[in-house]
Amino acid sequence: MTSPFEPHDVTWNRVSPRLVTAMLVPAAIWLGVPAVVGVVLSLTLSPWFWMLAGLPAALLLWSVLLIPRQVRAIGYAERDDDLLIRKGVLFRSLVVVPYGRMQYVDVEAGPLDRRLGLAKVQLHTASVGTDAVIPGLPPDEAARLRDRLASRGEARLAGL
Amino acid sequence: MSTQGPRPDAAGQPAPSADDALEWRRVHPVTPLVRGWAVVGAAVVILGQQSLEGGPRGGLIALLTGEYWWTVLAALAAVALVGWGYSVLAWRMTTYAIDEETVHLRRGILFRQQRHARLDRLQSVDIRQPLVARFFGLCELTLETAGGTDSGVAIGFLKGSDADALRAELLARAAGLKVGSAAPATAAPDGEPAPDAAAAVPEPAPVAVEAPQVPVLTVPVGRLIASVLRSGATIMLVIWALAVVVVMIATGEFAVISASLPAVLGAGGYVFNRLTGEFDFRVAISPDGVRLRHGMLETRSQTIPPGRVQAVRLVQSVLWRGRDWWRVQVNVAGYGGDSEEKNSLLLPVGTRDEALTVLSLVLPDLGIEEPRRVLDAGLDGDSRTPSVFVTAPRRTRILDPVAWRRNGFAVTGRALLLRRGRLVKILDVVPHERTQSLGINQGPWQRRLGVASFQVHSTEGPVHPQAPHLDADDAARLMAEQARRARTARATAGPERWMERQGE
Repeated sequence: MTSPFEPHDVTWNRVSPRLVTAMLVPAAIWLGVPAVVGVVLSLTLSPWFWMLAGLPAALLLWSVLLIPRQVRAIGYAERDDDLLIRKGVLFRSLVVVPYGRMQYVDVEAGPLDRRLGLAKVQLHTASVGTDAVIPGLPPDEAARLRDRLASRGEARLAGL
Repeated sequence: MSTQGPRPDAAGQPAPSADDALEWRRVHPVTPLVRGWAVVGAAVVILGQQSLEGGPRGGLIALLTGEYWWTVLAALAAVALVGWGYSVLAWRMTTYAIDEETVHLRRGILFRQQRHARLDRLQSVDIRQPLVARFFGLCELTLETAGGTDSGVAIGFLKGSDADALRAELLARAAGLKVGSAAPATAAPDGEPAPDAAAAVPEPAPVAVEAPQVPVLTVPVGRLIASVLRSGATIMLVIWALAVVVVMIATGEFAVISASLPAVLGAGGYVFNRLTGEFDFRVAISPDGVRLRHGMLETRSQTIPPGRVQAVRLVQSVLWRGRDWWRVQVNVAGYGGDSEEKNSLLLPVGTRDEALTVLSLVLPDLGIEEPRRVLDAGLDGDSRTPSVFVTAPRRTRILDPVAWRRNGFAVTGRALLLRRGRLVKILDVVPHERTQSLGINQGPWQRRLGVASFQVHSTEGPVHPQAPHLDADDAARLMAEQARRARTARATAGPERWMERQGE
C-alpha cells in the first residue's frame, strides 16, 4: 500500500534542524519551571508535591523525544502548480495549496527564531481552513520561497 | 434632524484627481432616526435587565409607577438625544459613489474611513430591512467582497426604490454591462425628506434596469413551523420542560422553574430566530443570479451572482427523514462571520426535488449524464447501493460504526461530491474551480487501517467539505487528481464579470 503522504513525483525539502532548539526552549520553560518548582516544594514541604513535579516532567520528556521526530517529519515541496506541505508523526497531514489560490504570504520570526536564524512562512488562501505553515526555514530560504510563491501566484492568479 | 443645510462636499475634501469625477451621494436623511432607535432600544433593554435583576420589589414597573418615574424618562430622553445626535453626525459624514469599476464609501466621525470595493470582486448584494426601517420604507444595501469578515460595504439607509435601483446598477456594472453613467437626477425624492435634502440625495438615474426574475419556489409557513418543531432544539426544549415538571412534582419546589429559565430562553430564542429569519422564504432566479427573500421582522433580499457559490451542502437530520426534507446551505465569500447563519442559507427546508432544484440554480451543470441518480446516491445512498461513489472500506466500521457505509466521494466533470453521515446526512458539492486547497489527515488508528481523511478547504461558511476514512490509495489518488482538475477547471472558468461571457 502506498502512503498518501509520499506522492511519487515529489522530493521533499526538509526544514532546518535548529527548529528542534526553537521548539524545545519554550517547552523547557513552560514545563521545566513547574517541574523544578515541584521538585523544590516536594523536598522542602511535603512529598505530595512529587505529583506536581511528575506531570510536567513527564510531558517534558515526551516533548524531548517527540520534537526531533516532528521536525524531521516536516517537509515541503514546490511543484509546477502547487505547494505541498506535510507534517506530523502520529497525526499526519498533507496540504496542497495551488499557487493561483494564494491571497498573501506571511513571513514571521520571533526573537528566539531570529537568534537561531529561523523564519516561518505561512500561506493564506481565501479559506480559513488552509493550514499551510512552514516553520524553521533559514531566512534566505524563507525570503526566496516568499518571492517565488508571490511571483508564481501572480502568474497563475485567479479570482475566487 | 438636519438643521445645518447639507453641503455635498462637507463630508471630506475629495482628493484632487480622480475623485472629482465621482458623484458623491448621501444616504437617506431619515437614517439617523432609524439608527438612533437602536441606541434607545439597547438602553431600554439594559435598563429593563438592571431593574429586573434589582429584585422582586425594585422592578422597572415599580420604578415607573413610583415617585421618580420622570428620572427614568429623562435618562431615556438623554440617551436618545445623544444617540440621535451621534447618528446625525454619522449621517453627515457618510457618502458613497459608484464608478465603472468601484464602489466608494466614506464614513466615520473621528476616524474617517474610505472604502473602495472593486465591483469585479463583488460576491453578493443584499438588501436588508430591519423592523424600524420598515416603518419609514427604508433599506440598507450590503455589498460583499471577498475580503474576509467585515469587508462588506454597507450603504444605508436608502429608500426602497433607491436601494433596488442601486442594486440593479451595481449588479449591471459588476456583470460587465456598460451602463450609462448615472447622471444626477434633479427630481426631488417624493414624500417625506426635507426639501433641502433633495440635493444631497439624488436618485440614481434609472439607467440600469432591474434584471427580470423568475420565481422558483416558496417555503410554506406550515412546513417551516413543522420543520422547526422537528429540530433538535425543540426536542431538547420538550425534554427539558418534562424534566422540570417531573422534578417539580417530585420535590414540590417551584424554584426549579426560575432556575431553568436561561436554558429555556436560549432554546426558545433559537427557535424564534429560526422561525422569523426563515419566514416566507422565496427563491427566484434572474440573469444576475439567485435571488433569495426571507424574514418576518427583518426582511432580507439577497442576490448571489453566478459563480459566487463556493460550496453547497444538502443536509437532513434524522427527524426530517420521514418527510424527506432537506436544508441547503452555501459558502459565499464574505458571508462568514456573525450573520453566517442568516445569510448562508439557500433553502431552509424543502422536499428533495426542491433542494435539488435549488442546487441546480447555483450549479447548473454538474457535468454528468444522469445527475439525478448520482445526487440521489449522494443524498441517501450508501456502499450497498451501486453508484459512482467511491466509499470508505469495510474495515473503517471500527472508526465510524454508524455511518461508515455513507462516507464516500464521487467526481463529476464539474464538481466534487462528498457524502457522509447517517443520522445527519450530508452531501457537499464543491465545483472544481472553487477549490481553495486540499488536505489529507491520518491519525494513528487510521494508519493502522490504511485509511485517511480527505478535506477540501472552502471559504468561510457553514460548508466544510470532507470525506472521512477513505482508503489511503483512494485518498492519495483523489488528492492528486483533484489538484489537477481544480487547475484545469480554473483555467476554463467563466469570467468574473458574468455577462461578458456572451459579450466578447
